[in-house]
Amino acid sequence: MPLSGTQTHTSLWRDEGGTSMRALGYFIGAFAVALLLGIGSAWYMIERGSILTTTRIGPWTSWLSEGNPNADPYTRAHLARSGRLPLTSTAARYFMASTDSSGSHLSPQCEYRISGAPLNARWWSLALYDSNGSIIPNPSNRYSFNSEEAIRRSDGSYEIHLSRTARPGNWLPSGTDPYRNLRLLLRVYGPRVTDASGIGQIPAENLPKIERLRCE
Amino acid sequence: MAVVLAGLIHVVAVLTLPLLAPRDAHARLSALGPANTIIQLPALKPGQQVMPNMAPDVRYAMCLFDLTEGPVHLRANIPDELWLIAFYTPIGENFYTVIGADMKRGNVDLVVTTKDQSVADATSDSPEALENLLVVNSPSSKGIALIRAPLAGPSRSFEAERALQKSYCGQQPAAATAPTPAAPPATPAPSGL
Repeated sequence: MPLSGTQTHTSLWRDEGGTSMRALGYFIGAFAVALLLGIGSAWYMIERGSILTTTRIGPWTSWLSEGNPNADPYTRAHLARSGRLPLTSTAARYFMASTDSSGSHLSPQCEYRISGAPLNARWWSLALYDSNGSIIPNPSNRYSFNSEEAIRRSDGSYEIHLSRTARPGNWLPSGTDPYRNLRLLLRVYGPRVTDASGIGQIPAENLPKIERLRCE
Repeated sequence: MAVVLAGLIHVVAVLTLPLLAPRDAHARLSALGPANTIIQLPALKPGQQVMPNMAPDVRYAMCLFDLTEGPVHLRANIPDELWLIAFYTPIGENFYTVIGADMKRGNVDLVVTTKDQSVADATSDSPEALENLLVVNSPSSKGIALIRAPLAGPSRSFEAERALQKSYCGQQPAAATAPTPAAPPATPAPSGL
């Protein structure tokens, strides 16, 4: 049995025709697949996050170690690409939403009710951006609401309307371009509850709900 | 075999990205002005935004510190408990933060050094100066100090900006400085940079 195996092996290398070309083709193909898989998976984990680095609570995504000096390599790569300067997660937490609470992408063609309650933190701000992280021009020059200025009910809860056309109360304009991608960023400074490593915690039930009301 | 190679490529890609990232925070902010000076970041306006996802309701001042010629001093008078002074490596790792809410007094006098630099060289001769001086060890010879003044209400913008303009960043120790005017607000790079 080894004899026939050796014979097949030597014949492969002696054959200057299709078989060695096929072998070369195989190796090139394998390398291309490896490159795609390797870089593709790296891109995905850096750009979108993974269970290693990111928590998802309803529509909100948060990187656990963003800005931390001892963060894992994915978080560091994500940070370097973003060009941002986040506070370390013991000092602040950041939650980003690109969808409403039912999972549909936020669109200026729809109207949303964002409902929230007081957060156990020193200060927070909910700001609207496009997918590049830029604020959206609007005639009211209103780009965010924060814990000091949001109009609240007597129990401290609040509602913010996210829409293209003006609404009474807390209105966050989504701008005139109907096809713009929207991102909501909730930044929470000085969370008072932390986990064992000091990382600020905001319980899932306290994060704002984003309810789609109607679309054009 | 392709999977092993994929794994290797994946690891190399993830580890080298921070070294290669062309538009990390330091690169974007370097366009605004020289190192070792306080630069006020203008309040956010569409088309005028230095970094992605900056807060519209926070006022910022920053200093690109460069420790190659020696330690760099930063002084500020923190007017309220919302202020934060955060120190970053060039890619944005926040290695130290002064939290206004934890400070007993408003005056912050600190010096940023590399681990090889001696603080005694950085200060004037008086021992009292050393007592109140906060020493921040930077893991890299360059980095960013970012002062945040979260607005405690919509009308507080002007007073926050005035307080930020009184901060100092540079190589002069406290006793040696005469009151210097802060650098004027810089023209930011266009958004999308």
